Amino acid sequence: MFFKRRSAAAVALVSLLTLTGCGLNGGSTTSALTPDLNQRIVVDNFRAPVANWALESDAAYILSLSGCLETLTKFDQAQGKVTSSLATDWKQTSPLTWDFTIRDGVKFQDGTILTADAVAASLQSVLAAKVPARAFNPDVVSDVAAVDARTVRITTPSDSPLIPYRLASVNTGILAPAAYKDGTIDPFGHCTGPFTPVSEKPKQSLTLDRNENYWGGKVQLAGAEVRFITNGATRATQVQTGESDISLSIPVASLSTLEGDNNVSVLKADSPRTATLYMNNGKAPFDKVEFRKAIRSALDLESLANSIYEGAALPAVGPFAASEPWASPETAAPKQNLDEAKKLLSAAGYTATQPLKIVAIVERAEFGDVAAVIQQDLAKIGVPITIETKEYASVEPDLLAGNYDMVLSQRNRLIDIADPIGFLTADYTCKGSYNLSHFCDADYDKLIEQAAKTTDAKERYKLYANAGRILQDQAVNVWLVNEQAIDAVRTDVQNHVQDPLSRYVLTAKTSKSGS
Amino acid sequence: MFAFLAKRTLALVATVLLASFAVFLIPYATPGDPARKIIRSRVAGDAIDESAVSSLTTELGLHDPLFVQFHRWLGRFLSGDMGLSYSSQTPVVEQVLPALGITLTLVVAALGVAVLVSLILGITSGLHEGRRTDRVITTVTQALIAIPEYWLAPMLVLIFAVKLTLLPSAGWVSGASLVLPVAVLAARPSSYFTSAVRSGMIEALDAEHVTAARSRGLSYPRTIMRHVIPNGLLPLATLLAVWFAGLLGGSVIVEVIFSIPGMGRLLYDAVLNNDIPVAQGSVVLVVALAVAITTMADLVHRTLNPLLGDNRA
Repeated sequence: MFFKRRSAAAVALVSLLTLTGCGLNGGSTTSALTPDLNQRIVVDNFRAPVANWALESDAAYILSLSGCLETLTKFDQAQGKVTSSLATDWKQTSPLTWDFTIRDGVKFQDGTILTADAVAASLQSVLAAKVPARAFNPDVVSDVAAVDARTVRITTPSDSPLIPYRLASVNTGILAPAAYKDGTIDPFGHCTGPFTPVSEKPKQSLTLDRNENYWGGKVQLAGAEVRFITNGATRATQVQTGESDISLSIPVASLSTLEGDNNVSVLKADSPRTATLYMNNGKAPFDKVEFRKAIRSALDLESLANSIYEGAALPAVGPFAASEPWASPETAAPKQNLDEAKKLLSAAGYTATQPLKIVAIVERAEFGDVAAVIQQDLAKIGVPITIETKEYASVEPDLLAGNYDMVLSQRNRLIDIADPIGFLTADYTCKGSYNLSHFCDADYDKLIEQAAKTTDAKERYKLYANAGRILQDQAVNVWLVNEQAIDAVRTDVQNHVQDPLSRYVLTAKTSKSGS
Repeated sequence: MFAFLAKRTLALVATVLLASFAVFLIPYATPGDPARKIIRSRVAGDAIDESAVSSLTTELGLHDPLFVQFHRWLGRFLSGDMGLSYSSQTPVVEQVLPALGITLTLVVAALGVAVLVSLILGITSGLHEGRRTDRVITTVTQALIAIPEYWLAPMLVLIFAVKLTLLPSAGWVSGASLVLPVAVLAARPSSYFTSAVRSGMIEALDAEHVTAARSRGLSYPRTIMRHVIPNGLLPLATLLAVWFAGLLGGSVIVEVIFSIPGMGRLLYDAVLNNDIPVAQGSVVLVVALAVAITTMADLVHRTLNPLLGDNRA
């Protein structure tokens, strides 16, 4: 009896955690009700395709979340590793080549068979794009070729253990040869996924039907409509009224309303975005680590997360979110300590001669308020601050050239592949192409160089954690808050697993109970 | 009349040219590299490959002097080619024409509602000048003028979509999708039109020919129908044209809030994505249409009021 009660309590607790959703894996919805195979659902997405379904563009995300586009590999957020999809296995056959075995029995939605030739042609077209995807471009992949009927070989210009990660990027989705005509891409009937796109209302929506011949098992929904609703408040309203079943990226302002609605589950997960106070390490007074540490000690991250972000963000523990597998387990969010900050300031030999400037980019509306809070906190330790709000494009040349003091911005660590190597290289190595902080440390560079060659994911993650520790020890920037990805789902939607990057939304398992 | 038409045609061409040049300058007037902005609209994220920036700059001829780029675009435009969208690489005309159709539907419906409402309220108010009915109508319509669309739209959504679940909250799917955006767009013109009709009615009621008609023994209802209402509606023709032109490009907020893929949203997205060809095509079309409509309204006004032509003579 005791065990029964305990297990019931445990089930309830697990269900609650699952329903409310937390951590990098995202929340999910489950239900004991029988799924109705005739149901269709509506998903409100936050972006519309702008590049006419070009796979190197963000349109690939829409095709992927719609359950149309599939890739050779897939990143399993729960397991934190790359798993099979259209490729069943893969191996590095030489330092510069990887062989992928294509899954047997897969057909494109137009009835043609998935072959190594079709896969190679599809990937070659991504490589040949005018503006290639960051995940898969001629700098990181030199050739794609079919070795035999079921094997595709990827050749790289240098040793690259991350090729399976690159092939999990939605930009490397595989389409049938007929999809590529006259320099344009037509995904209609040319994907391999559980849903076939049947019609599109430009700038409005994409309608999909069940793929009856899906290789991954019976698809549990008759079809779906993915709507492109760029206004966050409208997405929140639609899931509340039942016009949509799943609304992605809910704005903080709508959170309390949706959390109070019994028909809606609000799912939250750590997003790979951290709002950051970038400091120009190459310019005085930020060239002194004591000064940078003083700035960090003066800030109250917890109150920032609770006030400006209304609890929809967590105080940052460093350059990574705490739930990411490469985050150092012992790190905690820095606490405000004004006495310590003052000591550090005096150790840095700082005297307030003229105010330092924080640039708050206008693309993130909340950054103006964040800058004001930082200004108040820094005033307490005698560091005067002025705030300037600017469009990102206008300030970027100065940031890259090192003509600034501090800037409030944010980066998606996993925007190209489900591994932070691109971010850690571009943003913090001495020769990094996006090193806004103008930070340079030989030990850090050595770690990143080593990580880039490490095939074993666990070992690589340890190296990332060490690199993150260097960044934190050197107080390169102040990582302020880690934003949460917030989705809202009607309670009759079943088997929906939240993906913080919104790559996978409609799957063969997604279902809905009868009304 | 011929001189008037010739003058207006010249004004139309000059306005369209000026407007297109102004739009052409937008990406250059704001700081930042246009090629980087275009790439960002296609591929999200901050770190951009410099070689991609350089090749796109060359491909689009962004190194050329501004005048050369504008001349190139104008030459193509005059031959009926609006060019390709930077973002989607599809012909601009394929994006602009469907969007224009949607916005025209929205604007015509909104102005239709506004005219209907203003006729009922304006005539009632004019006939009851100074009385309680007049005061109530005037207060309500003045209040509507002060209410911004970005406040009114969410309020109507809250009431009719969330609370009463009578209407869809957004989209462009069925006739029901039209109701809320049309109501929001019609609110302000209704107020202005009502005020204009009321003033026209009061003015007409005081006119000598109305007193003369009454003294000839014409009944009050007939006098109102024959002499007061037709004169009272004259100002509406001009106002209608002005609002038509204004709403064509001014429906951005409503189109964004209600997810309507019309001209406003197309232009909004084009400017955000630095899609210069789409922005140019949209603006030129809207400006040309607006100038053409106001010219037509002037013509109608001149026909209804021949005194305007005499003044010119």
